[in-house]
Amino acid sequence: MIELINVSKRFGDATAVDDISLTIESGEFCVLVGTSGCGKSTTLRMINRLLPHSDGRIRIDGEEIYQIDEQKLRRRIGYAIQSTGLFPHWSVERNISVVPRLLGWPAAKIDARIRELLALLDLPYEEFAGKFPSQLSGGQAQRVGVARALAGDPDILLMDEPFGALDPITRESLQNELLRIQSQIHKTIVFVTHDMDEALKLATRIVVMDKGKIVQQDTPQQLLRHPASEFVESLLGGQERGLKQAGLLRSGDLMQLTDDMIDGDGPSLQATDSIRVALSLMLTHHCRSLPVLDQQGNQIGVLHLDQLLEPAP
Amino acid sequence: MSLVRRIMHQGFMPLFWLALLLSAALGLHQLETLFQWIQPDTRAVIYSRDSFLSLLLNHLSIVGIAALVSIVIGVGAAIAVSRPWGRDFLPLVSQVASIGQTFPPVAVLALSVPLFGFGAVPTMFALILYGLLPIVRNTLVGLRGIDSSVLEAARGVGMSSVQVLLQVELPLAMNVILAGIRTSVTINIATAAIGSTIGASTLGDPVISGLVNGNTAYVLQGAILIGLLAVTVDSLFERLQNSFSVMEDRLIK
Amino acid sequence: MKSTLPVNRVLLVLVLLALASLWGLDYASVQPNRIVPGAGQSLMSALGWPWASVLTLLLVICACTPVRSSRALLYQLMIVVLLILQLPLSLGWFIERHIDPALPYARAGIGAGFWVLLFLLGLMLIEIKQRIRLHAGWSLVIWLLILAVILISVPWLEPLALMREYQTRSQQFAQALRSHLALVGGAVGFSLVSGFILALLLNRYPAARKSCFGVLSFIQTIPSLALFGLLIAPLSYLSANSPLLQQLNVRGIGWAPALLALIAYSLLPMVRNTFIALHEVSADVLESARGMGMSPRQVFMQVRLPLALPIIIEGVRITTIQAIGLTAVAALIGAGGFGTFIFQGLGQAAMDLILLGALPIIVLALLADAFFSAAADRFKPGVKG
Repeated sequence: MIELINVSKRFGDATAVDDISLTIESGEFCVLVGTSGCGKSTTLRMINRLLPHSDGRIRIDGEEIYQIDEQKLRRRIGYAIQSTGLFPHWSVERNISVVPRLLGWPAAKIDARIRELLALLDLPYEEFAGKFPSQLSGGQAQRVGVARALAGDPDILLMDEPFGALDPITRESLQNELLRIQSQIHKTIVFVTHDMDEALKLATRIVVMDKGKIVQQDTPQQLLRHPASEFVESLLGGQERGLKQAGLLRSGDLMQLTDDMIDGDGPSLQATDSIRVALSLMLTHHCRSLPVLDQQGNQIGVLHLDQLLEPAP
Repeated sequence: MSLVRRIMHQGFMPLFWLALLLSAALGLHQLETLFQWIQPDTRAVIYSRDSFLSLLLNHLSIVGIAALVSIVIGVGAAIAVSRPWGRDFLPLVSQVASIGQTFPPVAVLALSVPLFGFGAVPTMFALILYGLLPIVRNTLVGLRGIDSSVLEAARGVGMSSVQVLLQVELPLAMNVILAGIRTSVTINIATAAIGSTIGASTLGDPVISGLVNGNTAYVLQGAILIGLLAVTVDSLFERLQNSFSVMEDRLIK
Repeated sequence: MKSTLPVNRVLLVLVLLALASLWGLDYASVQPNRIVPGAGQSLMSALGWPWASVLTLLLVICACTPVRSSRALLYQLMIVVLLILQLPLSLGWFIERHIDPALPYARAGIGAGFWVLLFLLGLMLIEIKQRIRLHAGWSLVIWLLILAVILISVPWLEPLALMREYQTRSQQFAQALRSHLALVGGAVGFSLVSGFILALLLNRYPAARKSCFGVLSFIQTIPSLALFGLLIAPLSYLSANSPLLQQLNVRGIGWAPALLALIAYSLLPMVRNTFIALHEVSADVLESARGMGMSPRQVFMQVRLPLALPIIIEGVRITTIQAIGLTAVAALIGAGGFGTFIFQGLGQAAMDLILLGALPIIVLALLADAFFSAAADRFKPGVKG
């Protein structure tokens, strides 16, 4: 658990973070979102003491971070950044082993950990372990960055716009990877982004920041339903908010269970597809209902246009 | 303080060094008492085989002629190998320009004696040969450093290849080329001084003569003049480069 | 634009130049003794028609190998290496034909044709090596081969004027090598350490950067002869007034002013490269090193220094090459080294003595260049080691 209590950060006369309080429970995926300069990165970097905070208290699992040796603290917290910050003079393997080495793990344990992480991030060991950062694509480098952040098996993972520099397709696949990994390892993740779609997709809780203050914190659904201010609403895309909301609801949750078979040749939905996808298909194919299939391709229900308009369960 | 800075900014430094150089060349012999103090047991304490002014002019003309030839050949060669018809020679020329700088200038100077005998000619040859390298190298770097979209735009608006070269490529590369010329001339002023060991009459003469005869006063007179000459020319180049960057700034704005 | 000729135009030009100089200039010369100027010998008379025609033929084949064939470069490389290997042997053959062993003072001079051929073959080697991906091992083999042939032919080359000059001065030659290396090593070593410290200080105190680099580049502007000369007066004054300095053999001329001037010249490239190297390590990499929990010491030793190393080595390379050349000038103020032979040779108008001084200086500079370039490559980040 991470607690920030009345925390401020000033650079000279400028206040970057202004008296914020925030509690992040263990296992939460907390996304700090806001425009550039809103203090989200500064907040993140205060948690691992890359920046000292000017006022207030920051606790990790009840322990004041200033009581902990700064290097020991950082070795307990995974850290990944947009430019990856991979060490260009070291191989992928050596890069991942940085924190385990600093922690003094035995060689066999480090080796096993590297293999485990490369497998987890879908980077075949034989192909990637010996490569150097300059030989990796942007997406691969970022995977290695995430692997390196996870290497010391930290309870907490801090990620500063890790996918910000990637193309949309790579970014989406890495977001999916991260969700998959999180479902296996259940870390406490604090993730900074300026991309609201990314926040909505990843977060269990979104913290919206503006001018150094927290303007709203809530689950993605609640945020979409009840934006606290015009600023939050505009971050949520203004008039497109409905579509974003639709993106969070799954067809399987809204469909009607039915035996009423629809011809298999037409368009169809997976149960895991969002109703945003459903809406798009209906618009494309000019139809009012679509069959919903399970993973094996068997029809398990039907989704009608009318159902999309009902309030969410 | 601000006044001093402003004067220095307006190109006062080259003038200052030039005045110092000229007054040294014309007035060093007035300081006979001083040199007598440095070299007490010698009668002749002022170098007098040639006047300092004529040595200075000789030194300058050797360096100047060599620099002119190096610039014409060097810039020309670099332009030639960066045209489509000369591109085959580009790798060789750029390699030679960088490997060549490994050769110590004294060695080049010494090796031109077996070829040309003694005097100003072998000195000039060595200066030209060695002076070419930084010029070729910097011209190549300058030409290659130009954003290809700029060249495309120049061709796109209908400039001929000569117009592209004269109006776009050379002006944009000028600062880097100038830096190369500056390096070349700096090295050449030093090498020309050593040229007096192979019979060229330069400001190195008093130094060499002083070293041979154990006359520190001679050495000092030569050294002061050589040093002042180098610093004067260097400050002139600095001024020139500054005015070019100012021009570039204006162009950008 | 593609070349319309089916052959490599660069090699063609180089070969034509080589042929012209081979047939137009003297290949070697014969001197009855050290004083009498030598009589030049053309290629034909120096080596005889079989050797001359094989040489010519090889050059022509090298130029005419069509570039289309994939192995052309390999053949051309082999021919050029072969031509280089024959150079010392051809001198041996020339001596065999023209120097009468019964005349102990007769000596063979190397002609302009030989030197130009050597130079052009060097250019051909550079040209070919740029276009061919040669394994580092093969480069080494080529160099070892060349070295081996030179060593093998040494006994035959004794009547060579250069060798004669060497033999009468083998002691001085060894001494010159020692003092040259000592001056270069001392200057580079000292400036490496002090340059490193200075660069660290500049990294910490940005206010001092401008004035520090200003002073160092001002020194760099002053010609070597002037700086050596300017140091004589103060050093002889100090030495005259300090018995300790006299004991250390610090005088107005000799090693002391030479070393001082060399260090002064070495500081600029050393400080500049070290400063840039340490300063320009990416801030993101440093931040993530801190973020991983490295101590400041670990960040410096494991990340900053290794990443800066290639550029620091590049600084050492520039400094060393510069110092090798400047040490030659320092011979004028009695500091010893190979420059001594150059200036003695100039004084006596003895061309081969000049060569005896100039060639080792060039070889030293090229060796330093090769060694430090390889070292810098070795430490480049992100290359499979």
